[in-house]
Amino acid sequence: MIHVNYVAAAALFCVGLYAVLTRRNLLRMVMGLSLMESSTYLLLVSMAYRRGSTAPVLLDPPPGKTASQLAAGNVADPVLQNFCITAVVIGVAVTAVFLAVVVRIAQHHRTLDADEVRAMGG
Amino acid sequence: MVGAVLSLGFLAVLVVALLGLPGDRAPLPAVARQALEMSLPVWHSTEPVNVVVYGVRGFDTFGETFLLLAAVVGVILLARTREPRAGFVGEEEAAGPEQRAEDPGAEGHQEATGQGGEGNEEGTARTAERAEQTGDGGRREAPLTPDDEPLGTPAPERAQGMSVVVRGGIRTAAPLLAVMGLYLVAWGYSPGGGFPGGAVLLGVVLLVYAALGYGAISRVIRPGLLEPLELAGALAICALGLVGLAVAGAFWANWLPVAPAQTIRSGGIVQAFSVAELVEVSTGLTLAVFGLLGMRHDWTPDPDDGDGDGNGNGDNHRGGSGGGR
Repeated sequence: MIHVNYVAAAALFCVGLYAVLTRRNLLRMVMGLSLMESSTYLLLVSMAYRRGSTAPVLLDPPPGKTASQLAAGNVADPVLQNFCITAVVIGVAVTAVFLAVVVRIAQHHRTLDADEVRAMGG
Repeated sequence: MVGAVLSLGFLAVLVVALLGLPGDRAPLPAVARQALEMSLPVWHSTEPVNVVVYGVRGFDTFGETFLLLAAVVGVILLARTREPRAGFVGEEEAAGPEQRAEDPGAEGHQEATGQGGEGNEEGTARTAERAEQTGDGGRREAPLTPDDEPLGTPAPERAQGMSVVVRGGIRTAAPLLAVMGLYLVAWGYSPGGGFPGGAVLLGVVLLVYAALGYGAISRVIRPGLLEPLELAGALAICALGLVGLAVAGAFWANWLPVAPAQTIRSGGIVQAFSVAELVEVSTGLTLAVFGLLGMRHDWTPDPDDGDGDGNGNGDNHRGGSGGGR
């Protein structure tokens, strides 16, 4: 039942959203953003899945199946798996920049509390 | 409270929307079917995901790569110190020129004793101080590599020595992992896989760093080498696309001869793109991670020092010791 995965991805996203909205510690906000990113990976991989499907590799189809059958639809969606790779790389890049900013804020203001950091108007 | 309400409301909207998505019995979308059908006859590759990443949607991968490059540049800019430095984690490198201008005797007592006069006095004082430090055993000089650490003694705090089991294990595992990362790129089911290969190489570097310290990798992992390498990878990706535009009439059109499937050169441009991506991703991730690890000094002086020489800095927004506003 793949819809369970969809609901889990939505719940994970909202846990991350809740952390970003309510935490005052900047590191926890970055962790919330990472949770939101992870939920998109789960959603994309789940959307790529088909019942009884194999990996989208055309070498050696499973017994009883031909390569043309694979192309006709009994594999996972390669385009959505590609989207997942893209999302992972972008998530890594965004997290790296956020962490660098948080370290500088911590050095500059001697605090990680978002409410005390007024210089950015936040 | 407001956050919880907003999150739960958004969760409800998301669940309603996601439950409307096609389930696991829906037919593959037309885009996916086209990618599966063209990967073997057109690109001679048995792996449609690679064909999508580096072939059909090469422009998207280009954008993603340059987003990563932009993020790495951002991290380097944010992590930059005022002082020029050759390595990432060089404590003795930071503020080196200022220190030398301030205190020439710090270069080492041999030079200082050669200079004579004031330097000589200072040099002998320094030697005496050093002998005292090594004598009490509390703060001795760190050895060149953690392997020179005598067993059974508390390691100096600067380089906490790993046990010989960890070091030996990682000495064995790191080359195997590095070969595996390169194998991922050169030869999986079919060529391709620059992103995971780059991530594996970063893992190898971090393993060696964690076990043997920065001294073991400081010859290779330094900004002066990695930054040009990363830009060379990015340039190679651009050049691949531009040659395709000139020769085959489209950005990232295949212009290399396509070898038969399941050989190391199958996929034509896909393999070259993947190798350039490996260079770019592995160096970029390493630069970002070591930039963050080596972040040491703020641009503004510490107001708690109380020296008074930097308190007039307008960048310093922190008012008073309480900081409450």
